[in-house]
Amino acid sequence: MGSRYLEIFCREAEEHLASLQSGLLVLERNPERSSLLHELLRNAHTLKGSARMVGLSDISAITHTMEEQLKGMERGERQVDADAIDLLLKGADAVALITSALLRGEVPDLDVERFVAEYDRGELTRPAPSETREAAAEQQSETVRANVKTLDHLVNLIGEMIINKKRLEAKLLTLKEIAASLPADQAQSLTLFRRDLEEDVLYQDYLIQELHEKAMALRMLPLRSISDGFERLVRDLAQQLGKEVRLQITGHGIEMDRVLLEGLKPMLIHLLTNAVCHGIESPHERTAAGKPREGVVSLSARHEGRSVIVEVADDGKGMDPARIKAAALAKGVIDPREAEAMGDEEALYLTFWPGFSTAEIVTDISGRGVGMDVVKRNIERVKGNITLTSEKGSFSRVTLQLPLTLSVIEALLIQCGGEDFAVPLNYVQEILKVRPEEISVLGAGEVIKVRGVTTPLYSLAAMLELPRQTKSCATLAVIVLKLADQRMACLVDAHLGSSEVVVKGLGKQFRNVRFLFGATIMGDGNPALILNVPDLFSAAANDGRRATRSGAELDEERRFKVLVVDDSITTRTMEQSILLTQGYDVVTAVSGEDALQKCADEDFDLIISDVEMPGINGFELTRALRESERYREIPIIIVSSLSRDEDKRQALQSGAQAYIVKGAFDQGMLLETVQMLIG
Amino acid sequence: MTGKEEAYDIRSILGQMRDEYWQALSEEEVQAREVLECLVFTLGGERFAFETQHACEVIRVPKLIRVPAVQTLIAGIFNLRGEITAAMDIRPMLGLAQPEIGAAGRIVVVKSDRFATGILIEAAHGVQGLCCDGFEPAMAGGAKRFVRGHFNEQDGSIILLDMEALLAAPEIVVGEG
Repeated sequence: MGSRYLEIFCREAEEHLASLQSGLLVLERNPERSSLLHELLRNAHTLKGSARMVGLSDISAITHTMEEQLKGMERGERQVDADAIDLLLKGADAVALITSALLRGEVPDLDVERFVAEYDRGELTRPAPSETREAAAEQQSETVRANVKTLDHLVNLIGEMIINKKRLEAKLLTLKEIAASLPADQAQSLTLFRRDLEEDVLYQDYLIQELHEKAMALRMLPLRSISDGFERLVRDLAQQLGKEVRLQITGHGIEMDRVLLEGLKPMLIHLLTNAVCHGIESPHERTAAGKPREGVVSLSARHEGRSVIVEVADDGKGMDPARIKAAALAKGVIDPREAEAMGDEEALYLTFWPGFSTAEIVTDISGRGVGMDVVKRNIERVKGNITLTSEKGSFSRVTLQLPLTLSVIEALLIQCGGEDFAVPLNYVQEILKVRPEEISVLGAGEVIKVRGVTTPLYSLAAMLELPRQTKSCATLAVIVLKLADQRMACLVDAHLGSSEVVVKGLGKQFRNVRFLFGATIMGDGNPALILNVPDLFSAAANDGRRATRSGAELDEERRFKVLVVDDSITTRTMEQSILLTQGYDVVTAVSGEDALQKCADEDFDLIISDVEMPGINGFELTRALRESERYREIPIIIVSSLSRDEDKRQALQSGAQAYIVKGAFDQGMLLETVQMLIG
Repeated sequence: MTGKEEAYDIRSILGQMRDEYWQALSEEEVQAREVLECLVFTLGGERFAFETQHACEVIRVPKLIRVPAVQTLIAGIFNLRGEITAAMDIRPMLGLAQPEIGAAGRIVVVKSDRFATGILIEAAHGVQGLCCDGFEPAMAGGAKRFVRGHFNEQDGSIILLDMEALLAAPEIVVGEG
C-alpha cells in the first residue's frame, strides 16, 4: 500500500476520531440523547470501512468492537454510562495511536488482539496510551492543508468579484432607465456611454469567468484520487465472502471539487460494499441462474449538463421490493396500509431509513443498516440527488447526481413571503403556472397533477413560517421539487429565473439552521437565502403526519392571529412556538403597553397575557382592551404563576375568558383553551 | 524645569521631580478609574452603553433579510462587506419594549471571539467617557442578566450592558445545542 493512501486514510481517521471523541463527550453529559449513538455508529462504521480498504486490519478490528458496543447501546442492550464511554474513548485512542505510529513509519506499540479481547470483556485496565497527536497533525499540516486554504480563499475572492459584476450589471439597467427618462438630445450621449460601459462589463465578465474556471480547476481532483483503493476493497470483500467479483471503473478522469470528493468517498465505499455483499450472488447461485460465475460491479462517472453523474451498478440479484416492504413492515417503518399502496419503485427507497437492513445475517461487513442512510445523508450534504433502479434477478443501480462544485451553484431564484430565495437547480424538476381550480383536496392536504402524477402541494411561505402574500391572481406560481423518488409542489409568490449564485456560509452565529444551507449576495448587494431542499421534504413529511392526526382544521383558508404578551422571553417563545406549530399566526408583545400599541395597529383574534409585567399588568391590559370597541368581544386568556382564587376572580372581573396557571401549564392545556375559544 | 540656574539645588530638583512623578502617576490612576469609554445609545427608549472595545462599527440599518424558522431575536441578516451577518433585536432579552426602529435607528456591529453580529438600536449617541464615580453596580444575582449596573449622569442614568455575557449567551446562537 502506498504511503499516499495511508496519509489520506490517517487524515480521514483523524476527522472521524475527532467527531467520535466530541460526540462521546456530549453523550457522557447527556446519556439520554440516544440520537447521538447513530452518528457515532456511523463514524465507527465509516472508519472501519476505510481501514479495511487500505488493509489496516488492526484498526478495523478495533472499530468493529466499538461498533458492536455502540450497536448494543442503540438497541438498549448495553448501558450508556461513564464506563462504557470510557471504553469507547480508549478504543478511539488506540486507533489514534496506530495511525500516528503509521504516519511516523513506526510499528505501533499495541497488542491489538489482546486489546480487542480486553475491550470485549470491558476490562481494559491498561490506560490506552494517549499519543502525542499534535506531532502527527504537524507532520500533515505542511503538506496540503495550508495551500488548500489559500485556494479556497482565492475562490471566495473570485466569488466576490462575480457578485460585484452582478452589481455592475444592475447599475447598467438603472442607467438605461435614466437615459429613457431624459429628453432625446441629452439621452444620446448617455446611451453611447452606457454602451461603452456595457462592453467593458462584458469583457470583465469574460475575464472573471476565465479566472473562475481556472481557480476552480485548481480545486478539482479526478475521481481517480479517491477510487484507487476501491479495487482492493472489492477484491478483499469478494474473497472473504467466497464470491467472484470484478470491479469496472469508467471515467476515472472526471474531475470534481475536492470538498465534494471528500463527501463522495464514504458513500462510494458503502455502495460498493453493498453491491458486493448484497448484490452479487455466490458463483453457485449465478451459474444456476444462467449468469457468468464472475459478477461485475461497475463504478462510472460522466458529465451531464452542469452536473456530474456517478453510478454504482452490479449485475447481481437486484433489489426485491416485496422483501424490502416486508422488512420495513417488520421494523415498523411503514404500516400495512402504506405497504399496500406503495409501488415497487417507491419501495426501493425504504432502504434509506436509518437502521434499515434486509440482510438476514449481520456480518462485520455489512447488513447493519448503517449503509444507505449514510449515503442519503451525505448526498444531502453535497447538494446532490440520488436515484435507485433495479430489476429483480438482473441488476441494481444507484445514480448520484452531483453539482460540479459547492462554491458556485446554479439556482432558481424565487420570491416567497416577500423575500427572495435561491433553490439549487439540482432539486428543481419544473416550474408551473397553476389555476386555483386545478388544486384539489386530498385527505388533509392539497394536491395538483403534475404530468398526470398527483403531487402534494404546499405553501412555501407557510412551511418557512413567513407571512403569506394574499394574492388573488388567476394563476399561481408553483415550483416542483424532486428528491430521490419524492416530488412536491410548492406555491411561491413568483419565480425570477435561474442564475449562477455564489454560496456563502451564514457564519458561526448560525450553527444549525433548518431550511437553509447558506446565502448568496444578489446584484443589489443584499443577501438572499439558499434553501435546503431535503429539509423541505422532511418538513412536508412531518406536516403530513400531523395533519392526519389533528384533522383538517389546520388547512383553513384564514389563519387565526394571536397576540402573546409576556415579559419573559422563555414564556413568550414557548407559547409562540406551540401556537405556530398549530398553524396560528403569532405576534408577541413584551409589555402591556407594547400590547396596546400592537392592538391598535392590527386586529387579533385572541390575546394571551401574563399578569405581572413591568408597566401595566395583565388585568389592567384586559380592562383597557375591554373598553375599546374593537376588543370588547375578543377572547383574552390570562396565563400566570399566581394561583390564588382571588387572582382568578380578578381576571374574570377584568374581562378575561380563561385563566391558566403557569404551574399547570402544558402545551395541551393552552391549545385546548385556544381552540375552545377561537376554534 | 527649574528655570533659574542660580538656584541650582540637586535635592530640591529631585524632590520636585519626584513630586511631579507621583502626581502624574496618581492623575493617570484617577483618570483610569474615573472614566469608562463607552458607546452610548438608545434601546427601548432608555439610554444604554457598553465599552468601546466590543464595538467594531455603527452602521445605518441596511435591508434585513428575514430568516425562516429561527428565534424571533434574529431580526434578519445583512451583507457586511461580503460577510453574511445577523442583526439581532436584543430588547426582549433585556425585557424592554420594542418601539419601531426609525430613521435614527442603527446597527452596532460587535464582535465576540466566535463571530461578529449586529445589534439593532433605536439611536446612537456616540462615544462618551462615563464617570465611574456615579456608577452603581447591579445587585449580584439580580434578575437582569445582561446589565452590570448604571451610571448616574447629570442628564439621567445610563445602563451599562454586560456585552461579554450577552455575546456568550446561548440564545443568540441559532441551532445551539
